[in-house]
Parts: sequence; structure tokens; C-alpha cells
Amino acid sequence: MEHDTDGTLLRTARAALVSGQGALNKGWHGLFHIPFRAWLSYLIARRWLFIAFAVGAIILNLPQPDGLTREGMIVLTMSVMATILFVTEPVPLPTVALLLIVGEVLLLGRASSEVARSLMNDSVLFIMGSLMIAVAVVKQKLDRRIAFLIVRFTGTRTANVCMGITLVSGVLASFVGEHTVAAMMLPVGVTLIRLTSDDPAQVRRLAAVLLFSISYGASIAGVGTPSGGARNAIMIGYWHQFFYNPTDPATWKYAVNYMRWMAFAYPLFLIQVPFVTAVLFFTFRPKQKNIARAVVRLRAQLADQGSMKVSDWSTIVIFAVILLLWIFASDGIGLGIVAILGAAAFLVVGLVGWEEINNGVNWGVVLLYAAVISLGVQMKETGAALWVAESFLALLEPFGANQGFGLWAAVIALTTAVTNTMSNGAAVAVLGPIVLKLAVVANEEPLVLGFLTAVASAFAYLTVVGTPACTIVYASGYLRTTDFLKAGWKMVLVSTIITLFAASMYWPLLL
Amino acid sequence: MDRPDEKRFRILVCIDGSDESYRGLRYAARLGGGVDADICLLFVRPVDQGLRSGGLEARVVRENLLEWGLELPGTKHLKKGQEILTELGLMSDDWAQQIVHVDKQGDPLGDNSIIYTSRNGKKVTLKLEVAPDIVGGILEEAEGGGYDLLIIGASERWQTGIIKTIWDPAVAQKVVARAPCSVIVARELEQGRGHLICTDGTDNAIDIARKDAILASRCNCPISLITVVPETATEAEGAEILLRTRQAIEEEGPEVVESLLKIGDPVGEIVRAGAEYSVIVIGRSNKPRKWWLFESDIAYQVLERADNSVMIVR
Repeated sequence: MEHDTDGTLLRTARAALVSGQGALNKGWHGLFHIPFRAWLSYLIARRWLFIAFAVGAIILNLPQPDGLTREGMIVLTMSVMATILFVTEPVPLPTVALLLIVGEVLLLGRASSEVARSLMNDSVLFIMGSLMIAVAVVKQKLDRRIAFLIVRFTGTRTANVCMGITLVSGVLASFVGEHTVAAMMLPVGVTLIRLTSDDPAQVRRLAAVLLFSISYGASIAGVGTPSGGARNAIMIGYWHQFFYNPTDPATWKYAVNYMRWMAFAYPLFLIQVPFVTAVLFFTFRPKQKNIARAVVRLRAQLADQGSMKVSDWSTIVIFAVILLLWIFASDGIGLGIVAILGAAAFLVVGLVGWEEINNGVNWGVVLLYAAVISLGVQMKETGAALWVAESFLALLEPFGANQGFGLWAAVIALTTAVTNTMSNGAAVAVLGPIVLKLAVVANEEPLVLGFLTAVASAFAYLTVVGTPACTIVYASGYLRTTDFLKAGWKMVLVSTIITLFAASMYWPLLL
Repeated sequence: MDRPDEKRFRILVCIDGSDESYRGLRYAARLGGGVDADICLLFVRPVDQGLRSGGLEARVVRENLLEWGLELPGTKHLKKGQEILTELGLMSDDWAQQIVHVDKQGDPLGDNSIIYTSRNGKKVTLKLEVAPDIVGGILEEAEGGGYDLLIIGASERWQTGIIKTIWDPAVAQKVVARAPCSVIVARELEQGRGHLICTDGTDNAIDIARKDAILASRCNCPISLITVVPETATEAEGAEILLRTRQAIEEEGPEVVESLLKIGDPVGEIVRAGAEYSVIVIGRSNKPRKWWLFESDIAYQVLERADNSVMIVR
């Protein structure tokens, strides 16, 4: 049993605070009648919140470092506090967004209307739209047809089935996002496991291989196209905000469009597919080398679906149009507007109801991304990102890692460490401004360091909470947290080597 | 929640799908085999955190699994628990069934229970609860359900040392520290090797010994006593403690099959001797629950160091 965040203590404290022999009814002096244990319980339950505030207070009272403005110091303090709250989750995460918004007005002295404006941009529209599309796509039940295609073409060898799952999960995830694919493919994986054996002990290793094929397949592909994940849209937004100047042709390359992103990132996904299967088989060594029984039974289950329905074709057509618009029109109207248009199309055609979308999207996450992106922009505008970049570079200098290959490896290591403790979108939102300024200071190409950050944010193979796909497959109940570590470190190694190889040999051809 | 019948013996078994939790359930079936006992199997699911699933609500994933005809992990674990109870003859197909749903934490699934009732009024409840955290869910049920005994598997790494114990204790550690009733922490819980009851001769210890003896007699478990006296004390003092405790137990009916007198470090001796038994039974001090984690209570140290199951009696 996991994820214990001391709610008991909170409830104890609340119960004591509310009941507390009517302490509050006695007026303010009644507070002194609240049992000490209730106060203590409350403090322990919210300890990370208080620690975050204490750390913030300490940083704000430290002497101002050379080269950092007061505003920059405040933004940095808010970033550190937000990071602590992201990782430890003492309060519901959308609360962090609310605190950041309040902080920008009260601590930085920005006008509230200005802050409100900074919360909505194309990246946020894209996140919102793609989540709505994700719900609409999952609701269409195309997963059965996809599963049928996989088991039809892969045969019955476990390795082939796993590679088929990795490839199909990856291709889908690269366009519709890894959470969508994990939600669609999890039943396929679990059904194959259940059809092999009802005894979890018999299929533990097989379950790990099948389920990780889904999550790692989706993770490595999530960076394949801009629509593969929020982090990609966030990085595209940062490049645009930090470097793009419509009057300067030399900066036009920073308006990265759909195809240009794919040219950089898609080959990395395709190269990694066989490595995923190899790493998983090497790590878990399933007893069942052939799952003919399960595949045949699954084929039989899926064979009676009948021909494609109008709703199936409508879904495919709408998604194809969205994809074409992303590729050919997003330069002009933005990725976000295309995503919103796609969501609207699903609603207009009636393939999904608003209530289904409303219940399926966690709007708090959209708010959270909006606030973190807004903070990221403040990091740049106040000079905080530049100062952190310079300091980080100074740290790397003694190791010779302040430029070139060493710097790339350091950026990948930093991003991998951060992304394994929080969502990859949040990791890119927090690190993006710093890494892009780092590129400027170190005289490196911002596109390369930006891509390294975006790609490495997918290396969250080590923990359950690292990526949405990992969280979703873990919810099946077949995996242990230690399984992520066992396979994850090998995946981190493989992905790092492939990415560094791409950065040194392949990406220069595209710049 | 229905008002619990105070005359009935109520056992709460925490199920997380681990082998330890099912061993605990088998033990609960033995203790709660009589018609006057009810058993509740509890699985707690933490409330979904939207960011973890990338902004897509976990309910979308769950609905998709259900539409494929697959069971959710909690349901699967509880169903396995029910199968174990049926296999042990504690339940049968002709029991009445009542389904209860309570909206909770803004979660569409909320709390769901299936209450099975036999003709003579014995109840077995399968409960899938949603809570901000697992410990919170377990304690909420333990406090609201009026349970006499809570059984939880020590399937997680047990944290040792004061700092780790306070900062990041395992689920079972937190539950045992704050539960309102007696708790068995199940570790390799084997049946039939009896209860080893620890006593130091105080009224509290004798009362606890009496309570556990009655509990042990429910499953015909052999009862043994142990007392550990310091090296400065005489053996006669230890023998006197054992005699008084034995008499108190036997006044209630159960028979004590063995009395062990040890000299030296109480924790070490209890852990060593206790390894031969199904459960080491020890009472805890009446200090406030939260402070219990801070102190070097013997019961807590036994719990920390023992490799087998320990029952902390309140």
C-alpha cells in the first residue's frame, strides 16, 4: 500500500478542531482548548507545506547574489517552493497553481489582469484541447480493433507481441498523447495476462513485460511529435517566446512547426522500439516464451466486432483532419487552436458528450500547467533563468561539462532527475527557461538543448509517478514499484546514449 | 454507516493483494468463525491525482477496463478474499446480499460495500473505500465501524529508527500507532502455533492477557505466557507475575499451556521466544497515540524487531 500523505492526521486534526468540545464556539480563546495533539497532527500532515514556506522565507532573506535582481530572487523562491510542493504533494496540486498566481501579484507586484493574460497561451490551449481529444478518442472504443490488428500481425511469440504492442502504443502515443494510449492499451495488456493465467504469481514476469511494453512504448514516443505531450507544446512555446522575432529571419528557425519537430524527434522513437523489448526481456525473463493460448482466445473475443461503424470512420476522419491541420496549418493558427477545433469537431458530430469530456479531463491540471508556464516566462523576464543558467554552468566548469557533449549529458542528467520526481510536463515547464538561457550563456544552440530537455523529460522510467503511462499501467495492480527501478535504469541508459548520439550526429544535419 | 452491534466481535482485515494480507484473512476467519463475529475486508484506494495521469481522469481508464469485462485491482483482491472465506467454509452462496454505495471525496466511484448476511445474522462485508490516503481510509473505517480487532499485513518495509519512524513510516506502522482497537501486524502468520502473551504483572498487562486469552480461545489457539525480569530481580518475582497472570486468565475459562520466565533484555527475549508462536501478544502503554512513535515503548520495539506476527492490544 502506497501514496500515504497523512490524511489521517489531517482528519484527526479536523475532527479535533471541529468537535474539540465546541472549542471554536467559545470564540477565539476557544482555539486554546484545541488539544495539542490535534495541532501536532495538523503540522506533521502538512509538514512539506510548512517546509516549503520556511525554505521560501529563508531564501528571500538571504543576501542577494551578484547578478540577480530582487524580482528574479522572488521568482526563483517561488520556483523552489513550487518544486517542493510538486514532489511532496502536501496539498492538492492545483493549489500550487493558485498559490503561484497569488504570488505573482502579491510578491512580484504584477497587475492581476496581466497575470491573468499570461495564464492563457497557445501551449495551454493545446494542453486543454488535446486532453479533450484524448477523452473523445478513448470513448470511441477503437482499442478493440487496434488490439485485433496487433495480435493478427505479431503472431504468438511473446517477444513479437511485446514489440508489436510497443510499436503500436508508440505510434499512437506520438500523435494522441501517452495517457490516451495507456488508457486504451491497458485493457489489451491485462486481457492477455488474464487469458494466460488467473494466478498472478504465474504471470508476474509476463505481466511486467506486457505492461511495460505499453508504458515505455508510449513514453519513448511521446516526444515524437508536438501533439505527443504537453511538454512538447511547452518547449515550442518557450522557443517562440524566448528567441523568435518576426522581423529577424535568423530567428525564424525557433518557430518550430509540427514537421520540423518530427524530423528531430521521431527517429529517436523508432530506434528505441527494439531496445525496449530487449531491455524488458533481459530484465524480467518471462517463463512464457509463447502466449498462443491467450492470443487465440483474444482473437476469438475480438473477431466478432463486425465491420467498422459510422462512428469509427468518423473518428478516424476527424483525427486525420486534425493531424493534417497540425502538420500544415499550425504555423499560422497554432497547435492549440487545431486541438480545440478537433475537440469541438468531436462534440459537433456527437461522438462524445460535453459531460463525458467534463468528467474525463482534470481541469486542475490545465490550470497547473498554465501557472507554471506563466512562472517560466517570469523566470526569463526577471533574469532569474539567466542567473541560474550562469551558476549551473559555473558548477559544471571544473568537470569540463560547461559546453558540448559534457553539457548535453549534464542537461539530460538534470532533466532525468527532475522528471522522475514530477510530471514530465511540469519538469519541462520548470527547466525550460533555465536550459534555454544556459544555451545562450554557453554559446550552444537553443534548439539542441531544448530538444535534449524535452526528450530527456520522457526518461521517467524509474518511478510510478514519472509519466502518465507508468501511473496508468501501475494501476492495473500487476506491477510493483521496484519493477520500475529494475527496468527503468537500463532504459535511462539506452535512451541517454541514443539521444546523445542523435544530438552529435543527426541533429546537426537539420540545423 | 450502520451502528455496530456492540455485542458482536468485529474484525477488520486490510486487503492489499499481498500474500500477507490473505494470511491475515485466514487467521481472521479462524478467530471470527463463530456466529457472533463479523468480518470486514477492506481495500482502500487513494483519491486520484490528475497530474499523475497527465490530466486524463483515472476514471476514464477504469471505465475502459470495466467495459472490457476486466476487474479493477481492488475488486479483484476483495473477490479473492471472498473466495478464501468460502473455501474455508465461513461463507456460502445462500447468504443474503446488500450493496451499499456512498459518494465520497468527489470521486464518482466513492465507497462501495457488499454486505453478506447469513441466516443467523453473521456478516461478512467486502468494502472498497476511497480516501485521500490509505492510512486515513483504514483508520476512518476502524474508528467508525467499532471494530474489536484490526489485521494488517506488514507487506511494506518497516521503518526503523526514530527519524524514519516519524518522517516516513510504513502504512502498518501508522495504523498500529493510531488504531483505536487491537491490531495484529501479520508477518508470515501461521496458524496453530499459539499465542505468546507478554506480561509484566501490572493490572494493565493482566487485563490485556485476559482479553487476548478470550480471543485466542475463539480459535482454540494454545496460550502461553512470558515474563522477562531484569537481572537484578529474583526468579521468584517472575514466577509470581506469571502465576498471577495465569490465574486471571484461567478465571475466565481458557487454559494456559506454558509459562516462560526469562531474565535479561525484555525486547530481545520476547522476540527470541516469540519466534516459535503464531502471534506475540503485547499491550501498549496508555500514552497518547501520537507520542507512541517517539518513545522506546517495549511493545513498539518488539513489533519492530520481531520477524513473525505481533498483536498490539489496546
